[in-house]
Amino acid sequence: MRGGRGDSAVERFSLAQRVEHFLLLISFNVLVITGLPQKYSGEGWGERLIVLFGGIGQTRFIHRTVAVILVALGLYHLLVVVATRKRPVRRHDMNLSIRDIRDMFADLRFLSGRSQERPRFGRFDYRQKFEYLAVLWGTVIMAVTGLIMWFPSLVTQWLPGVVVPAARVAHGGEALLAMLSVVLWHFYNAHFRPDVFPMDPAMFSGKITVERLRHEHPEEFDELQELGMLPEGHSPEPAGNPPAPTGSGTA
Amino acid sequence: MYWLILSAALWMLASPQAGLAQTNETCLACHQVEGSKVRFPGGGEIDVTVDPKKFAASVHAPLTCVTCHTDQADYPHRPVKAKTARSYHVLAQQICATCHADQAKVFEASIHGQGMRMGLADVPTCTSCHTAHAVVRPKTAAFRNNIPETCGNCHSDAAVMGRYGLRPVYQAYVEEFHGVTTRLYRLVTPLTPSPSAVCYDCHTAHAVRRPADPESPVAPANVLATCRTCHKEAGRFFSTAWNEHQAPSMRHSPLVYMVQVFYKILIPGVVGLLALLTALDLWFWAVTRWGGRKA
Repeated sequence: MRGGRGDSAVERFSLAQRVEHFLLLISFNVLVITGLPQKYSGEGWGERLIVLFGGIGQTRFIHRTVAVILVALGLYHLLVVVATRKRPVRRHDMNLSIRDIRDMFADLRFLSGRSQERPRFGRFDYRQKFEYLAVLWGTVIMAVTGLIMWFPSLVTQWLPGVVVPAARVAHGGEALLAMLSVVLWHFYNAHFRPDVFPMDPAMFSGKITVERLRHEHPEEFDELQELGMLPEGHSPEPAGNPPAPTGSGTA
Repeated sequence: MYWLILSAALWMLASPQAGLAQTNETCLACHQVEGSKVRFPGGGEIDVTVDPKKFAASVHAPLTCVTCHTDQADYPHRPVKAKTARSYHVLAQQICATCHADQAKVFEASIHGQGMRMGLADVPTCTSCHTAHAVVRPKTAAFRNNIPETCGNCHSDAAVMGRYGLRPVYQAYVEEFHGVTTRLYRLVTPLTPSPSAVCYDCHTAHAVRRPADPESPVAPANVLATCRTCHKEAGRFFSTAWNEHQAPSMRHSPLVYMVQVFYKILIPGVVGLLALLTALDLWFWAVTRWGGRKA
């Protein structure tokens, strides 16, 4: 991104996390492309896609198979979150706190030029946390409503039947919301933002340059420095303001 | 002498209608001309064109024209008894009933049959659903898969339905899970019967009753049993999912309606917020790049 000691990098995502993200990427896309034509089956493009997949029977089969994979992935993820909650590095620091709300407003002030100081973000900034929680929450909603539609006979042994058409509406609505959010928000932040265009490689290489880390996740930079986990030349410097080669907003 | 008797006997056996000098080819010579119409003095007209190909493909292909049109054997034809096109169709049901007496009896007891006796002008006759000359076996996939449109001919028409205090239900059906599935199965496998419920699976074909009729399979007390003809393991609350082919509202399926409203607000709200954040971020990059702001 910027010059200086830019070439040295630290690991941001483990191989397992990258594989997980890759599987999520694949399954999300397959679910969207087999699910949306079912929601919009009255449209010409919806019909054509369903014909392309070999008919509604096959479309549903693919959709449900991949959905099972995604749910399994989600359960695995929760397991890992619990198991690694005390790990000092590469933590799932996703718990939302009041600080993230404050960060968001502070960042909005910064972006709009009303403040010259960008809030100091930790391992994940408020945008990444919101997106993560949206994915988590969305997957839960999609899994629950999807299973209700898949097994209506079973579900209506305990629940009123109206949950079935309600689940159908929620499944379609949540799907549309998820897709639009990813297209707009994730694509912007991971692909189209001017500093990462055409894409942020961190999720595939697993590495982030120290320069970027210090710039975008200054608190994590400090933590890694304290732990002595930064590459040569970055540690052990005293915590606090490193000599800034650029006029960055990390203050 | 012997040969003469034998050939005469063969000739008579081979064409039982020969005495009337009528074969289908004779009739079709005139009736395959497109646009042939009969006008009725009391109103309406009927297209009397018969497509020979469609008739040959129909289940009635082995029959002769005069098997059904017994009174039209002579030419010039005798004037038809019916005074209107509608009454012609109504009377024509007796022709079908000659062979299909069981179905006719069931039909008479149905809500459509009742309407017929009351002389209601919109009630379907046999040919409304089966056509006159292109009758296909009702068990075929083509007939089954097209049932929503067959019933929808009338049951999608708000004006017709309104006359009898009914709602058009076709539009709701094709949006429902059963309707969507049937429509989509038809796309790729039109020759396989849709595994999803079509109108007559729940309402029956000839014995249709009003849903309030306790003998109707879709009467409130019978709905669950009707669902279980396909959904064998349907839970005891299964049929409460049923919204009677209505669009959800606060009165009908309020939960479904509220979920709809929730997403109608949430989706534009979230997308709008994200668009604003994105625009703001782009603004930041723009003023940093071109506006001289320090990053």
